[in-house]
Amino acid sequence: MNIEILEMEETRAKLLIYNAEPQTVNALRRTLIADIPKMAIEYVDFHLGPIGSGEGGRVADGASPLFDEIIAHRLGLIPIPTDLDVFRFRNECEHGPEESCELCTITYTLHKVGPCTVYSGDLEPVNGERYRPKDPLIPIVKLDEGQAIYITAYAILGTAKEHAKWQVTSGVGYQYYPIVSLDSSKCRNCDRCLEVCPKKVFEKVDGQLVVKNPENCNLCGACVKECEGVSVEGDPTKFILQYETDGSLSARETLEKALEILAQRFEDFRESISEMK
Amino acid sequence: MIVPVRCFTCGKVIGSAYEPFKTRVENGEDPAKVLDDLGITRYCCRRMIISHVDLIDEIKPFS
Repeated sequence: MNIEILEMEETRAKLLIYNAEPQTVNALRRTLIADIPKMAIEYVDFHLGPIGSGEGGRVADGASPLFDEIIAHRLGLIPIPTDLDVFRFRNECEHGPEESCELCTITYTLHKVGPCTVYSGDLEPVNGERYRPKDPLIPIVKLDEGQAIYITAYAILGTAKEHAKWQVTSGVGYQYYPIVSLDSSKCRNCDRCLEVCPKKVFEKVDGQLVVKNPENCNLCGACVKECEGVSVEGDPTKFILQYETDGSLSARETLEKALEILAQRFEDFRESISEMK
Repeated sequence: MIVPVRCFTCGKVIGSAYEPFKTRVENGEDPAKVLDDLGITRYCCRRMIISHVDLIDEIKPFS
């Protein structure tokens, strides 16, 4: 399996994979979705009772319009910047399962007094400024006059097998590499294929129809229905795979981690086979 | 109620796009172009924004 990078942005990637089979690419897709670890808020402590605002001695009620469970869930879904070289799973840490340390937990505090909107950017990381959520504009809850929120939240490492809040990627998909060919002897110069194509694969150059952007084709077959001279096929050894990340990891880090996990899994499988006799 | 943090279908974070979307559309921009500009390209994510009814202000007084 060879991988060529077509597009690589901070949170988005498009790859060309060749010399591969569908099952291999699907294994990579499933790994990208479910097996990449990342940090997400898992435990939330709510301060109950009156909460002081700190200025003028105003005291607000420790309550908000949403249920605490909903706020905790919304906090969990916020992407938290993750450094996979630093963090490890809590059950793999040296201390007991009920304890926590800086290598397995990021602690956040959130203190706001209404009326206001509480955003993800209001989460104050205790472990260091680099763990501040990259997207500061996600609304968590709105507070009215006399309402306040005071929260301590703990983010731990997890994978999407347990909960979708630990899912790094979204929109992961692959398709066969399209082979678009034109048989000029059957072309009636009606330009229908050019009109119906939603991806602008064809173009007219000097009055001659040419396949301009074959990589844009999504194998919809609209052009084939219009004209016998066009044929669209998928190459079953060549794939275009694309995915997005939620910002907790970069697209490149995610891919590297996925390939590392896949290699490790095949290695473990090979070992257990050789022990079987 | 309040805008969901992520798209129900694909899991992309869309909560942060709602407020810019709302203000820009109120200022007369084309909603489709605003969504493209905010990087919300799939129709699962787009429906999260365009079909959202923001009722948090209605229930805010009742805690």
